[in-house]
Amino acid sequence: MKKTIALLLTLTLCLSLLAGCGGAQGGYTANNTEYVIGVSGPLTGGAAMYGKAVANSAQMAVDEINAAGGLNGIKFKLVATDDMNDPTKISTNYSSLLEGGMQLSLGTVTTQPALEFKNLSFDDNVFFLTPSASGDAVPANPNGYQMCFADGNQGKVAAGFVNENFAGQTIGVFYKSDEAYSKGIFDQFKANLDASVTVIETSFSDANATDFSTQIDTLKNCGFIFMPIYYTPASLFMTQAKDTIAPNAVYYGCDGFDGIDNIDGFDITAIPQAVTMLSHFNSKAEDGAAKAFIDKYVAAYGADTLNQFGAAAYDCVYALYGAMEKAINEGAEIPVTISASDLCEILKAQFEGGYGLANAVTGDSIKWEPTGYVNKVAIQYVIKEAN
Amino acid sequence: MELIFSTLINGLSLGGIYAMIALGYTMVYGIAKLLNFAHGDIIMVGGYLIYVFMATNNPLLAIFMAVIGCVILGICVEKIAYKPLRGASPLAVLITAIGVSNLLQSLAQIIFGSAPKMATVYDFGIVKLFGATIQISSLVTLVVAFAVMTALTLFVKFTRLGRAMIAVSEDRSAAQLMGINVNSIITVTFAIGSALAALAGLFYLLKAPSISSTLGAMPGIKAFTAAVIGGIGSIPGAMLGGILLGMIESISYKITAIAPYTDAIEFSILILILLVRPTGFLGKKRREKV
Amino acid sequence: MNLNVKKQRHYINCIVIALVTLVLGILSLTGVRFDNSLLFLLEKVAISIILAVSLSLVVGFLGELSLGHAGFMCVGAYLGGKVASLLVPAMGNGLAAFLISLAVGCAAAAVCGVIIGIPALRLRGDYLAIVTLAFGEIVKSLFQNSSDESFGGSLGLETPRYNKAYLFIIAFVLVLVTLAVIQNLIRSKHGRAITAIRDNEIAARASGINVTKYKLLAFILSAAFAGMAGVLYSYSNYTVQSTKFSYNYSIEILVMVVLGGMGSINGSIIAAALITYLNTKLATVLTGDLAVLQNLLYALILILIIIYNNAPALKGFRDKYNLGVLADKVIKKRLDPSHVQDDQAKWDVVPTKISMDEILSVDLTPQNFGPDQKGGDK
Repeated sequence: MKKTIALLLTLTLCLSLLAGCGGAQGGYTANNTEYVIGVSGPLTGGAAMYGKAVANSAQMAVDEINAAGGLNGIKFKLVATDDMNDPTKISTNYSSLLEGGMQLSLGTVTTQPALEFKNLSFDDNVFFLTPSASGDAVPANPNGYQMCFADGNQGKVAAGFVNENFAGQTIGVFYKSDEAYSKGIFDQFKANLDASVTVIETSFSDANATDFSTQIDTLKNCGFIFMPIYYTPASLFMTQAKDTIAPNAVYYGCDGFDGIDNIDGFDITAIPQAVTMLSHFNSKAEDGAAKAFIDKYVAAYGADTLNQFGAAAYDCVYALYGAMEKAINEGAEIPVTISASDLCEILKAQFEGGYGLANAVTGDSIKWEPTGYVNKVAIQYVIKEAN
Repeated sequence: MELIFSTLINGLSLGGIYAMIALGYTMVYGIAKLLNFAHGDIIMVGGYLIYVFMATNNPLLAIFMAVIGCVILGICVEKIAYKPLRGASPLAVLITAIGVSNLLQSLAQIIFGSAPKMATVYDFGIVKLFGATIQISSLVTLVVAFAVMTALTLFVKFTRLGRAMIAVSEDRSAAQLMGINVNSIITVTFAIGSALAALAGLFYLLKAPSISSTLGAMPGIKAFTAAVIGGIGSIPGAMLGGILLGMIESISYKITAIAPYTDAIEFSILILILLVRPTGFLGKKRREKV
Repeated sequence: MNLNVKKQRHYINCIVIALVTLVLGILSLTGVRFDNSLLFLLEKVAISIILAVSLSLVVGFLGELSLGHAGFMCVGAYLGGKVASLLVPAMGNGLAAFLISLAVGCAAAAVCGVIIGIPALRLRGDYLAIVTLAFGEIVKSLFQNSSDESFGGSLGLETPRYNKAYLFIIAFVLVLVTLAVIQNLIRSKHGRAITAIRDNEIAARASGINVTKYKLLAFILSAAFAGMAGVLYSYSNYTVQSTKFSYNYSIEILVMVVLGGMGSINGSIIAAALITYLNTKLATVLTGDLAVLQNLLYALILILIIIYNNAPALKGFRDKYNLGVLADKVIKKRLDPSHVQDDQAKWDVVPTKISMDEILSVDLTPQNFGPDQKGGDK
């Protein structure tokens, strides 16, 4: 009898599967009443701070655009899905976004899921402009663009800084060996370093992501420590190292450091060493578009999730909006039910044709290379001076 | 010299923590004949309890509450999940233990969220010894871990309760016939193991003041590895295995070329040791009954 | 019940899966375009079924706990994916390249099965569980730290994706292959030998069963099919990233086997399909911090099912209210005493353990072992 039940269950399951394949001959956008922007990011999990920042900021930009009347009266809608920074969730998220009518996308928030996303979206020809998935390979396909600096470029800029200031000296590196972001920056950093600079390498991996005493011990004589990692392990490293590493040493991070002065339970002023980061956004900015963004964001969502990921996402929405507006002014037609693929061609033509965003939060003049990499000025932002 | 000394201290203090966790595994295995996979997650619960009670700004109270809380949790887990399965196949018990482990992790994630929390218990600072810079917390860990292990060994050897524990692990039914209450012995074992796990949670927070729901997962597996290397069921074996593993880890992290492979190295050593000595270094040979 | 009917009942799962595949396949080949989400789901279901059925061979039939099934899959995914990424530019993304990658992936995983099978001969139960777990972690760590040129390192290996309109057909054909091989093995004399080892290894050895051979056979087959699932995985994704193959994934496969009922292939199939379906559906429904509820649910299911099925105290309750008895009551079909029992139906009530446990005891190990810790107390 168990078998009969098993058989019935199987049949039910199969039928429910079959029920899932109704019509769906493409044309998911046929019933759209707004332009739909899709994004997938870690709304929960260890990287939730980034995903939430992107979702909030993009929503803020969408609301602003809609309040101003949208694009020729057509409003925008943002759909954010949660991938918990897990690449295996992307196929589900992507197809649910696409079948929900997505016409253009902010891609994913983090790099590892983006590697899956870039190919899926290439198959269906969906345009994406990612705010923060900084992997070098992310914009490899013609439909993908980045708002943040690619990892390799960050590594190069950091190496340039070290070559200029620490020639002939010994510096330390602390990176995460099993993370694409960290390793991507580190590899390019090492490749672009002058031979005169001696590097002491230390690394860690997920399995022991909290106890860094061995690594700190190895790095204790370094006056400059390059840390291409995210802020959570960085803050732990600094806490554990504050007495061991020389008090006038410099911790130098990339955009992953963003938000390090905002962690609950971590007091950055208790760290004697200096903390500097390379970024495109200054969360303490006193003027310009950045200041306006910060004020508005903090008023709406609080300062907890204010970081460069959100700022970039805000710029992404305006960049997409601006490109569509420019295309319409040049004679292109973008009806509200336009298919993702048609819109992708229009946007690609714009981005390849030198479209740029001026006076944005993350740069005064933002343009894109034909490769999909962003072209703007990186700022070196001192989070904290040495005590 | 300086390098060797600091590596030694780091390795010993890490090994001390592993040994303490491994003791919990090994005692429960010896006495209840079950592999308590959820043991690692008791560490995490201990850490979170310390985090919660650190709101009172009294580290000693927080540690005390964490130990009490973990003991209660350990006993509850035993009564609810393992006791109904006494006499069932070891496979069934093992899978239940895995279930309990996942249950504790997801509960912690629901209660405290998935982002790690910062919890500074006490800042001991550093000290210079033989030219090497040593975290005082490592020394404290080392001293406390070895004191606890010595006390435990003495307890098992020289008290009535300890000898009853040995009796139960030697032959459960004979011990029962001699008037030993096996159920209460098993409960006591779980309580001791959980208290050790809570202390291990404290040591982890002293090393790195960050706690998340997966804090105990890897240390749990590593300590399990340590217990198996030493010979599961053997108390000196757990200490030996723990310290060995801590030293291997500490040395491996010092060598840049192999540092990323540390976990792989530790687990390979486990497999090799088991191939040569299937019951670990100090493990008891198994008697097969027909 | 005559033999033919019995045989048909044994292969009913294959027939059902073949029919569903046929219908969907014909629809797909005649140009009906399915939603991506359905295609992805079908691929994932097929992969899960292969994994669950192959793990079931080791856990349910051989009676050894393997916590490294994801590790075998990882080997298959990386090696198969690597071969595919080398072959596809040269010979196109066709069936030939797929089959070669499949062969390589399966073979590599089978070799790992031998490597893990050998300790399995010396170790039992808990020790073996930790060795398989260690194996999974080692494999994961090696691929994670590989150089970018070899296996992509932390970025993961970029693999070609098979035309998604057809991949699910191939996937389900592979499910059928898996089922055919494993079910035939279990119902053959070799399968009886494997279950005999599970029930009592010493008795099995005494009856002249070559325990070494059968344990290795089970491990190798199980690993090879996990490798096959891995190759499928690499073909259904654009990147193979080692983080996927963690210990938690092994546990998820184990949950499928346990939920389906240990030693029940049909149960494993249904549980694998159900859990995979729920995983994808819940992922879009349960967002935010609610997503953890999914793990909580699995943990609870695991504990409750095991306690219900195994607790000695619940034996009377189980005999009275199990699924079969309830079904009989519902359908009002009484068990006829003269009714010929299906040969595999009541395996578990056959008293394989002789109650002479307390009387006889045999030392299998040489007597010359050194003073151990507990012995020293005597």
